[in-house]
Amino acid sequence: MTHLSELRRQGYGKTVLAVLVVAVYLFPVYWMATTSLKSPPDIFASPPQLVPSHPTLSAYRAAIVDNPTVLRSLRNSAIIALGTTALTLLLAAPAAYALARIRPRGSGLVTLLLLIGQLLPGIVVAGPLFVLFSRINLINSFPALILADVTVTLPFAVIILRPFFLSVPRELEAASMVDGSTRFGAFWRIVLPLIRPGLITVAALSFLIAWGEFIFALSLNINERVMPITVAVNKFVGQYGTEWDKMMAVATTAAIPIVAVFVALQRFIVGGLTSGATKE
Amino acid sequence: MAVTVTGAERRIGAASRPAALVRRRAGAYLFLLPALAYLAATMLYPIYSNVRMSVHDVTVTTFLGNSAPFTGLDNYRALFNDPAFWKAVRLSLAFTAGSLVFQFAIGFLLALLFTQPFPGSNLLRSLLLLGWLLPTIVSGSIYRWMLDGDYGVINYALRSLGLIDEPRYWLIDVKTALAGTILANIWVGIPFNMLLLLAGLQQISPTLYEAASIDGANAWRRFWSITLPLMRPVSLSVVLLGLIYTFKVFDLIYIMTGGGPVDATTVLPIYTYQLTFQFFLFGKGAAAATVLLIALLGVAVGYLWFSRREEVIS
Repeated sequence: MTHLSELRRQGYGKTVLAVLVVAVYLFPVYWMATTSLKSPPDIFASPPQLVPSHPTLSAYRAAIVDNPTVLRSLRNSAIIALGTTALTLLLAAPAAYALARIRPRGSGLVTLLLLIGQLLPGIVVAGPLFVLFSRINLINSFPALILADVTVTLPFAVIILRPFFLSVPRELEAASMVDGSTRFGAFWRIVLPLIRPGLITVAALSFLIAWGEFIFALSLNINERVMPITVAVNKFVGQYGTEWDKMMAVATTAAIPIVAVFVALQRFIVGGLTSGATKE
Repeated sequence: MAVTVTGAERRIGAASRPAALVRRRAGAYLFLLPALAYLAATMLYPIYSNVRMSVHDVTVTTFLGNSAPFTGLDNYRALFNDPAFWKAVRLSLAFTAGSLVFQFAIGFLLALLFTQPFPGSNLLRSLLLLGWLLPTIVSGSIYRWMLDGDYGVINYALRSLGLIDEPRYWLIDVKTALAGTILANIWVGIPFNMLLLLAGLQQISPTLYEAASIDGANAWRRFWSITLPLMRPVSLSVVLLGLIYTFKVFDLIYIMTGGGPVDATTVLPIYTYQLTFQFFLFGKGAAAATVLLIALLGVAVGYLWFSRREEVIS
């Protein structure tokens, strides 16, 4: 690159490097997608085909379109992920608002609770929840999986939302309450609309987490009518073994909603990840 | 207000303050109540229940009622006398250490790249996050395919480079299965490390670098004397958070190997899962879960203590 000017070398040299890095990093995702489009002989070709020579959708037809179990598991995942998102927002928004307003008294203890919630391994929660849900006859149901998933999403949702509420001036609610509005009315009509970006971030991340959740779905449910796509993929490992075109077709299908949410809401997600994972 | 207020005086004092303020306080706590009740039921109760089950002989016939006999520390004794438990601990430590070292090193290098301004930086950085956001079940499936012995692309690449002569059955071989899962987990964890370290790098004031340049420090010297020391607190946070997240990894390993071959990848979370959900030894499983929890709490306490100390210093 010696023939380029200093300025261009500085700028575009790094872009080229970064493009290479991203291409190498995302190769596994590319490999999944192209494998799903190959015919079995092309999968076993040596050297491996970087681009499918005879792209086909037959793996998708066999493993998804003609497979009611997988179709239903996709629907189930949507129900669980949307339910988790709704319940997370419902619980987290008021809690984060309260934490932004009553600090410091009492908020230290709650923050500690939230931190513990973030570090709890799924397996520690799954055993007791299995016993609890069995006793109250909630096992093998959508509510069981949604309630379990919210244990994962709620702590980080509150942590992400609190700084958003802190940035809303108290005077706005005070003014509204002087005008006769209740605190809840002020929260609902004045504050919530102002923190919409925070709500979108939390909704997107809750959806992503619940869509990809596996351990609760594996341990709290044996009912195929409730089984989400992650458990279906796991079942495929036994069922399809080395039929990699079908394995990758199911994996790609399971990834598509994640990619779609990511592309649509990328701006919110990236910001949320940084603020949620570190102290604000 | 005086230090020695009686209850009555305090009530009078409260009443004479603007009533709205009091109502506001109480109202705020009401907002917190649903989430607190939820966390108590789904977090504190499971922790309590784990500890309780771990000192009772809970089996498949007794887990629904309260009839399981109290057995003191028998479950823990059985656990600590089980060689499989200690093997799971060793595997967990190896999995965590192997993952963390490479996630952190690669994440740091990428953060150094993306902290510099260049066209397309934001877009490319965001694309990297995809690897972290994909369901781990999907990532695990991809790596199972790429590490396949007969047609896996990784074997092909290694053979083309002359690094191996014969195909390796990475996930079927007891000696290499753990390394295979570590490889996949490194891939998953790189964006997380990069993102947090990048946030740390961006906190370093550019004027420091400018001043050092003027004083004649070259790029290496600036990195060594400015970047590295100033990144130490952030780095420690990232490593401790990574420790917590990596130590509890379950689904990635489960989909890739199911804990096998034999028990070559049965890390602590998988061992715990097997006790409870495959052997229905609820008591012993709860003891294992409690040990796992205590280990993670220990790390978290370290993290909190450390971050508080950093706050005091800075």
